[in-house]
Formats: sequence, C-alpha cells, structure tokens
Amino acid sequence: MSPDSRAPVTRGGPSPLARLPRSLARALAPPTWPGTVERPLPRRNVGTEYDTSWSRTPAARFARALVTDNLTRPFVRLVADPTVIGAEHLDPLRGPVIFAANHSSHLDTAIVLSALPPRYRHRCVVAAAADYFFDRRWKADLWSLTLGTIPMERARVNRRSVDLAAELLESGWSVVIFPEGGRTPDGWGQEFRGWTAYLAKRCGVPVVPVHLHGVRPIFPKGGNRLHPGDVEVRFGAPLRPLDAGAPAGPRAGRHREEDARRFGARVEQSVAALADEAETDWWSARRRAARGETPDLRGPDAAPWRRAWSLPESRRSTGNGRRRTPSAPW
Amino acid sequence: MSPRPGFVLEVDRSTPPTLFWHGEGWRLERLPVGSRVVYPPEPFPALAEPDAAIRHALEHPVGDSSPLSSLLRPGAKVTIAFDDVSLPLPPMRGPDVRQRVVEAVLDTAAAAGVDDVVLVAALALHRRMTDDELRHALGSRVFDAFAPHGLLLQHDAEDPDGVVHLGCTDQGEDVEINRRAAESDLLVYVNINLVAMDGGHKSVATGLASYKSIRHHHNVRTMQQSRSFMDRHHSELHSSNWRMGRLIAKAGVKIFQIETTLNLDTFPSQFSFLQKREWEWSLRDRATFHATSTALEHTPAAMKRQIFQSIRSPHALTSVHAGEVEAVHDLTLADVHRQQLVHVEGQADVLTMGLPYICPYNVNSIMNPILVACLGLGYFFNLYRGKPLVREGGVCIMSHPTPWAFNPVHHPSYIDFFEQVLAETVDPLEIEAKYEESFATDPWYVHLYRTSNAYHGVHPFYMWYWCAHALQHLGQVIVVGGDRAAVRRLGFKPASSLADALEMAEDVVGRDPSITHLHNPPLFLADVT
Amino acid sequence: MREVLVERSLPRFAAARAAAALAGAAGGVAVAPLRLAEREQRPLPGPDWHHVTPLLSGICGSDLSTVDGASSRYFEPIVSFPFVLGHEIVGMVDDGPLAGSRVVVEPVLGCLARGIVPPCPACAAGRKGACERIGFGHLAPGLQTGYCADTGGGWSDGLVAHASQLHRVPDELADDAAVMVEPTACAVHAALLGAVQPGERAVVLGSGTLGLTTLAALRHHAHPGALLVVAKHPVQREMAAALGADQVVRPDELERAVRRLTTSLALARGRSTSRLTGGADVVFDCVGSSSSLASSLAVVRPGGRVVLVGMPGTLHVDLAPLWQREIALLGAYAYGAEQTPDGVRSTFDLAFELVAAAGLERLVSARYPLERYQEAVRHAGNAGRRGAVKVVFEIGRATSPAWRGRGPAPASPAPANPAPASPVPANPAPTSPVPANPVAANPTPESLETNA
Repeated sequence: MSPDSRAPVTRGGPSPLARLPRSLARALAPPTWPGTVERPLPRRNVGTEYDTSWSRTPAARFARALVTDNLTRPFVRLVADPTVIGAEHLDPLRGPVIFAANHSSHLDTAIVLSALPPRYRHRCVVAAAADYFFDRRWKADLWSLTLGTIPMERARVNRRSVDLAAELLESGWSVVIFPEGGRTPDGWGQEFRGWTAYLAKRCGVPVVPVHLHGVRPIFPKGGNRLHPGDVEVRFGAPLRPLDAGAPAGPRAGRHREEDARRFGARVEQSVAALADEAETDWWSARRRAARGETPDLRGPDAAPWRRAWSLPESRRSTGNGRRRTPSAPW
Repeated sequence: MSPRPGFVLEVDRSTPPTLFWHGEGWRLERLPVGSRVVYPPEPFPALAEPDAAIRHALEHPVGDSSPLSSLLRPGAKVTIAFDDVSLPLPPMRGPDVRQRVVEAVLDTAAAAGVDDVVLVAALALHRRMTDDELRHALGSRVFDAFAPHGLLLQHDAEDPDGVVHLGCTDQGEDVEINRRAAESDLLVYVNINLVAMDGGHKSVATGLASYKSIRHHHNVRTMQQSRSFMDRHHSELHSSNWRMGRLIAKAGVKIFQIETTLNLDTFPSQFSFLQKREWEWSLRDRATFHATSTALEHTPAAMKRQIFQSIRSPHALTSVHAGEVEAVHDLTLADVHRQQLVHVEGQADVLTMGLPYICPYNVNSIMNPILVACLGLGYFFNLYRGKPLVREGGVCIMSHPTPWAFNPVHHPSYIDFFEQVLAETVDPLEIEAKYEESFATDPWYVHLYRTSNAYHGVHPFYMWYWCAHALQHLGQVIVVGGDRAAVRRLGFKPASSLADALEMAEDVVGRDPSITHLHNPPLFLADVT
Repeated sequence: MREVLVERSLPRFAAARAAAALAGAAGGVAVAPLRLAEREQRPLPGPDWHHVTPLLSGICGSDLSTVDGASSRYFEPIVSFPFVLGHEIVGMVDDGPLAGSRVVVEPVLGCLARGIVPPCPACAAGRKGACERIGFGHLAPGLQTGYCADTGGGWSDGLVAHASQLHRVPDELADDAAVMVEPTACAVHAALLGAVQPGERAVVLGSGTLGLTTLAALRHHAHPGALLVVAKHPVQREMAAALGADQVVRPDELERAVRRLTTSLALARGRSTSRLTGGADVVFDCVGSSSSLASSLAVVRPGGRVVLVGMPGTLHVDLAPLWQREIALLGAYAYGAEQTPDGVRSTFDLAFELVAAAGLERLVSARYPLERYQEAVRHAGNAGRRGAVKVVFEIGRATSPAWRGRGPAPASPAPANPAPASPVPANPAPTSPVPANPVAANPTPESLETNA
C-alpha cells in the first residue's frame, strides 16, 4: 500500500553517500588509546607551575613596552587620572627594588605601572595571584605579556614563586607586590603577608612603600562598571631592613638583623602613614607617625556597619550614587 | 511671595479647558459652565537647612521621649525602620528624605558606639524593594555600609521566625510585628507623611506587621466605616491601628518616631504646567504641553511608562518631628493639613478626576486596572474630610487608559484576581468571604512575596477593599478613554469621551447635574462642609 | 444520488494544505480534491447491509483535517479512495427488517461489518474501536464509514451500513440530538478512559464539539473536584458554563488558572513565571494540535494523565516534561464497550443517555444543504469565531418527512440492488458470518433494544 512496500528488504543502513560525512569524520578523528597501555598525565602549565620566562625575552619586553605606553597608560589617564606624589624618593635608587602597595582594585596594577619612572616601568614584574590570573592558560599568557605578571600564591609562601621572584630581583628586575594578598572586600586594609619582607631581606633590596588613594570608588571589588575618578599615587622613602646596609651574605650577622616580621610591620606602617597623608596633609600625618598615632590601615575593630560608616571614602559619597531606575520587564 | 492656598473655581464661559491627567498623558477637557474645579494649594517653601532641622528634631524630641543621643549606648540593639518604595510619589529627587534622616540617626549611633544596628524596610505586604530602589531611598553611603553585611533587611511578614505575637487588643485584634523590631532596645521609625493617611501608629502597626495582624483593619467592614481613611479621627482603619500601637507600646517596644512632611512641589520644572492653573500657563507651558502631548501620542506604551516612571519629583522637606508616636503625629498632621487642606462647600452630583500614571503600588511598574480602580475610588475619592465631594448615589467619572496590562513580577496575584475573581463578582464582601483566604495562603504568592519582588497574594483584595466605601456610596462609576473590556471587568462603565460620560451620568443623577472636578495631583485634602 | 466525494490527489491535498495554512481552518475546501458527485445507488456489500438515507450529518474536526490536507499519512493504508466524508449520521433505514426506522450509524467498521469470522479479540469483546483486522475482510480498507470506498458516507443522500452499525433512535429524541450521539460517544469513551477519580482536578482543553461533549461526559460519569475548561470564543464559554464547567478560562489564562486551582508552585524562567511544578490530575486535549498538547503537558501534574481526544497529526512537541514528570499520554479513539459500575455497556448506549440528559442538541447550531457544502465546511472551520459549535448537513428531511409514529417508511426507490454490481463475489466468505460468532449472532436486536 505504501510506496515503499515493494522495495527490497536488505541489511545495512543508509546508502554509502548518506554515510559519507560520518565515515569522513571517523577517518579524521584522533585514534583512541588502547585500554591496556598506560596514559601519561597531561602537563599542567597553569597556576604557580606556569613558566613566565618567555615574557622576559626581548621580543615580549618590546611588545609589553608598546602595550604599556600606548594602551595601559592612556587608559589609566582616562579613568583614573593619577597624580604622582613622592616620585623624588625613587630618584636616588638604582638597581632592583620591591614596590609594596595597598590593593583595592584590579586597576591598581595598571596604575602603579603607569606611575613608575621608565627605568623601572620597563624592567619590572608584578606578583599576581596564581589562582586568579594564572588559572587558565589564556589568562596566564595574556597577563604575563601585557603586565609582566608572575604567579604568586596568596595564602602561603610557595617556594617556587619566591625563588622565581628572588632570582628575578637578583638579575636586576624589580617586583611590584600587593602584600595584602588580595583586594580589600570592604575598603579597609588587610594584614600584610610575610613574603615582601622575606624577599627584601633575602635579596638585600629596598622596599618602596606605595599608597594608591581613590581607586576603589572607580572600580571596587565586585563592581561591574567603571566610575571614572581621580587617583593619587604616593611613593614613600625606601625602607631597608635595619643593619643590612651591606649585601646580606649567607652568614652575615643573622642575629643582629631586624627580623622579617618586624620589617614587614614597618612596611605596613609606612603605607599607613602615606594613607594618612592622603586623607589629611603631609605635616599632620608626619606628626601622627612620629607619635605612633597613624590610623591603622585595617580600620576600627567594630561592627561591620561602623567600619563601613567610618570609611573615609564613604563620607564623600553621601550623594545617592547611581540614580538608575531599575529596568522594567514590560 | 507666600504660596497661595488651594481654591475652588467656578467654570464660566471664559474658563480655558481643564487639564485632566490620563495615565501616561493628559487630556484638556471643557467642563460645563457652572462646574467647580478644586485646585491644590501652591507648594510651601522648603526648609532652608534640612539636615540641621533633622538633627535639631532628633535632639529635641516631642512628647514623652528623651533625645536620640541619650537613648543610644554601646551594646544597645537598635533597629531603624523606614517607609518603603510606595512613598513619596513620584519618587523624589535625591537625596531622599529617608537618606537624610537615616544618615543623621546613624551618625548619632556611630558617635554613641552602637554596634548592633539593623535597617528594615517597613513594607508590610508590599513588594520587596530592589537594590537600586533601596540605594535611591537611603543613599549609597548607607546602602554600602549595611547591604553587603546583610544588615539592610526588608520586613518579611511571612517569615514564621521573623514575627512575634505581642498580644490582642481589647477588640480581639492580633498584634504581630517584626521580631527584630520588637526585640530591639530602640526602634527608630523614619516616615514620610505624604498624605494625611500615613504615619502615626500605622507606621509600625501596619508597616512591620504580618497578614494575621493586618487583616483586622484591612477588610471591607473597616474600610466602609472609614469616612474617610484620610481623616484619622473618623477612620476605623486608624482607630484599629491606634489600638494596636498602644498595645505595642504597652508590650515594651520603645519607638522613636521620626515623621517628615513634604511640600506639594510634585513635578519637575519642565512640567511646571502640571501644577499651574490653566489660565496662568505661560507660552513655554503651552508649548511644552502641546509638544509633549503630541510626542506622547506617538510613543509606544512601554516607552511612555519608562519615561514617566523616570520622573523624579522635586518634593522638599517642610517639617520634621521626632519623639513619641502620638505627639509627633499630631504635629505632623497639622503640618500636612496646613499645606494640603482646601475648603469646599457642599457635595456635587458628579465627581470627575483625571488619574495619573502612578499610584503607591506601581512605582517602576505598570498601573494595572485594579490599581486604577484603587487610585480613583480608593485614594482620590477618599481625599476628603467631613463628607465626600460627591453625594450619595452620585457618579464618579475617572479618566485613565486602564490598559489590560499587568507586571507579572510585581503583581502576580493581581492577574489571577482580575482573571478569576473579578470575572465572577465585583462585590467586595462576597470577594472577601469567598476568595481572600485562598489567595492569602497560596504558597506560590507567599514564595514570590518572600523571595522575588511581588506584592503579597492578598494585596489585590486590599486594593478592592480600599474601593469599598466609594462603591457603596456611588451610584455609578464611569471611566473615560479606558480599555472597554478591562473597565467592564471592574464593574464600571466605559465612555469614549467626557461628554458621553456626562450624558451617561445624567441617567443616574438626573439632568443638569452639579459637577466637581478634582484637579489632582498635586495631592490635596478637601475639607467638605 | 449526490455525495461529497474525496479523491486521491496528492497535489490537490498539498494545495489544500497550503491554502489552509494561509486562510486558516477549512481554507483548503476550494482546492481540495473534493466535489459534489452524482452516482448510482451503492450496491450492498453483503447480507445484513442496508441502505440508509441520512437526515442530518455532522461535520467533524477530522473531516476538516481531511479537507485541509492536514490528516496524517498514517491513515493512508486504512482509508480507501474515493470516499464520501461524514460519519456523524442520523438517518432513515431504507430496506431490510429495519426499513423506516430512524437510526444513528455507529461508523466504526469492525470485524462484524467486514464479515471476518471469527472476529478479532477486541471486536469479540465489543471494543470495535480497537479492531485488529482493520483494513481486511470483504470491504475496502476504511476505519470508519466516511473513509471507506464501499460504504459511502454521511455527506450524501444515501449510504450503506451493516446491521451491527445501526442504533435505533428513541422516538422522543429529536434529530438534532441524535446527530450528536456519535461525537458524544467519542467523548464518553475518552472521559471514561481518563478515569477521573472523585475529587481529582480535570482540565478540558478546547470547547468545540468534542470539548463540550467531553465536559458533559465528565459531569455525568465522573465526580471531578474541579472541572476547568479552556474556551476561546464567547459562545463556547457560555456553553461550557451551561454544561457545568466550574471555571471557564481563555487559552492564555490556562496556566495561571491551573496554578491557582491547584495552588502549585511555578518555576520562574527569566523574570516571568512559567512552568508549573504541580498541576491538574487529568487533562483532556480536545484539540489535538502541537500547541494544545504542549499546553496539556504544561498543566498536568507529575504522574498525571493526558488524554488525547482531538485527532492529532504529526506534532512537534517537547516530550521532556512527559519523561521527567512521568505523564501518561493516552489516546482516545472512537468507542465500543465501556466498563461501568452497572457492568459492560456499549458506548453508544451511554452516549444516547448523555445526549438526552445533558440536552446536547443545543450544540447543533447551523444547518446546510449538501449543495452548499463549501460554505458549510467553511462555517465549521470557523465555528467558534462565528458563534457555532456543530455544523450539520440537513439532507433527507424533505424526502422522508414523516418519521414520528409511522410504521415502515415508504420504500426507497431502489431496494432491490442489482446483484451483479455488488462487489460481494470478491469476498471469500460472504454468505454465512452469522453462526460463527455469538456476538454477531444477534447483533441488531440487542443494540436496538438497549437503545429503546
């Protein structure tokens, strides 16, 4: 009855022509691995394992210099318009240093790089969170090329990362570090991690305290839009571990030196003094620093709302901010 | 020049056509000679230094209350409740009054070292506010200090652990309010008294209450006995709230009430013709009127809504009082009356009104037919003291496009109420008896109220009860220029023009009826003798 | 004799389909291979067959599908061209022992009519709709009168029917009521198949003839806790309310109404609310389109049942909900015998009772003479919009005016069929189907008595 009812009954599915695409695909597919043969594990080239040495080849450095001067700096000028204060502290410096800055925004790296004098700007690496900037291969490639990042583990001192940083310092590169280990969640500072001081001591390089003021309102953690504003970048006087004027030999009076923890605290205090200066003025900040009354970067020890309420930047944002009406579903 | 009070115009042959609001737009209508038009008073001047006035009020409370700073001490548990998105209308240009007051309160609290502070939006059974709306009402500083830490809450009337039963009044009314507020050492309530209905004990007893408690005064019987609910001394709604408020005070809840009043400066200056008398329209006003009217005719409905909903009113603070609830409210009420009261002699056979695009329940949303009914018959009809502007058995003519349109996120239960309940009956008593409970307890509405931005399942019923007094009083309701199917579903009569509506009204009230037009908004309160 | 003949012409069916896609239901009537033909009176296919002159003959949704070329090609082997449409027939028997009786034709052509001995198990049990010998026997293939080349159909002034297909109409039942018996039988069958338990919530989707009769059948034979009916047009809404729907809603209100009724939750997709998590216990889809089936699946509860009452074709429906919610999808075709509390009863008997009890004659809303068949079909295709439910042909009324209280009607002009023209010889066993089968032994009197 149906037109096909007289077609011959045969075995085999569709015609060879109809099967062509599939047979083609099958022919070109990678061969399957025999179950009896052991498979090697794939090499992981992300996180702290990621090898950044390619990004310090002359070609990559040249590319980065182009990006920094032609994209990064104009962009930073556009959204943050940084005013650099205290650049004179950098003038006498020669050779590698560690820049230790407070951290509140993704923009911080770009702003610090833009504010550095050219001799440091083009010969420095940025310690960046391995779990954030190096978790995917493409991110690792992108950031090492454009910002010169090296992977650093935030929570603990990872031998490999620290060795790499030390190696770079010793070969003449400077390192930008955000000792807080992450952007501030609420506007107040977090505790400085130990590796800044450790590195400085191990390599005998000075630490330059840096304070970035006004970046958080532009692009805070969790923000999804840029709100352009003005930023101040303050460099403080370089700090060296006390009694470590001479290059620290392997046995050079270890017991007499200021230990890493104390030195770290001093770095933090210097950044806090810069912050105080940003809020008030240089003179009163200096006097408070002398009296040991510099306000703590980490804010008051009170309920979250009072910490937020006493945040210096909140007092300036009394306006009702974004005045967007919610998009309606009609 | 001091602001002129409101007045009643008698239409003569030289009177220019009268402005009628018509949803997202306007109509110019020629009222018959002899009709009366009630105009609102002009806006009072704003307080010169609002922040200083607020701080002064906090430190010089009225009634039996100490200054705020002396009520705050370290370790105290403080809750600040504030009016929700339904006030003021249209939403005011920033900074909002609530922001000013809350910041002043928080500064005091921070100075006193109070750690345990929580903010609660007193939304009763209204929809939850969006983050943007909260940010607008409270300002970024407050929002950013509280919201990220989960300290900016919205009252949840359906949270079994979030409300506490404080007892019953002598009339057997359950009083059940927000637990956090009830268990705080100090409850600060930040109010905006836009109309005479707001504030007083209603702030806490309704704004922070549960359905179990609210149903005692939000019902047909109460609403029919509230004449009007804008007149607290003749409003059963308020009597019930006052009984509850006194019980709350007796239960030991310490309330520091802060009430504010705004002037009638309702629309931005580019729309100044909306609050001017027609014969005083300048060339610029006339040009704006015609340009906007023509443009709006060719604008899609959704875009019109977006344009109008983005209007921010220039309302300004005219007074602020703080302290004990009743003492504060008496002063506030006097201030509201000073600004809003207009004396009107005698009732009319026909009351006409133009309904604007906004009512308390469709901020950033769609004004659906139920809200149209509620704005006209609930709010505008009740804007009287003494007796209604229209006689018993008279006709009310409202002008609004009344589209058959609902916002599914904000008003889910309204859709079902309109499709199912009103299709069957429009009698408030029957609706209350037959359907209220099933809507109030529907788990889906409860879920949406608690987690989304939906009005509570029972809310459309309240809108209808709000109309109960008018429905009982009026002989007929006519809607000019509305969607016919929607208007008929409401039980009203559709008319295509005001002239037709007046002809239809004559069938009910007889030939040559007396007509009063409510030239509203800006809102005012008619004192009818 | 005149009859509306459907011939096999794929291009013209394709054209009809295209026309219907443009112009809506029944849009294909002008181009479909359909014509009003003149022909000799049909020969009787065998013994126990009789000539029947239709009085009223309904236009069914499946007829419209045929006209619009929208019927599934599934039916190809079980229809035989050319056929005459029409299977909702009340008519007058012209010859044989029942001559002059007013009858309703039960159109399904089972083993009995096909002279198959012994009948298949389904037919033996009276479930003719489930016949397993459909397309065999001495008749040309055809699942029903109206799709079979040998029997003719209702849209004519003469057809042949087997004695087992005839149900005598009680005198007090008017023609309008009688013509509703066949569709009502479908509805009764579907309603009983849906097995709505007392208190269960049922939804009837569609308020055409099938929807309304299904609604009536549910009111009569089940005790649903709530009966929600979807009706598009005002007349349908009024009818649905009159026939006992608890709630009548528009199609776009369905999901919300079911959600309210069952106080179900819903999953919000984006910012709108949709996809119920609960739903109705049983849904009767009396439309049979992709969208109606999708709606049915959307409003039935997990573990619920969807009964497909309207005739579907090739549908494009997402069956993920069917799978995930373990929904039973039941087809409800035709009729036969039903298990009732009073024992097994013929569906037609139940339908006769229901038509009388529910006054279903009110559904007949327009009559046309055969000559104006195109107009009639167009009216039927837009019945709801044009304020009608059932559109019928009024055919034999004038030629047999006096049926009430009369004895045998005047003999039809051609009672003696010329034997040579009959296709009977082609059949191997035409002569003695009777003794082989106890059901077939006495089919006619049984069905007639129960109807009386």
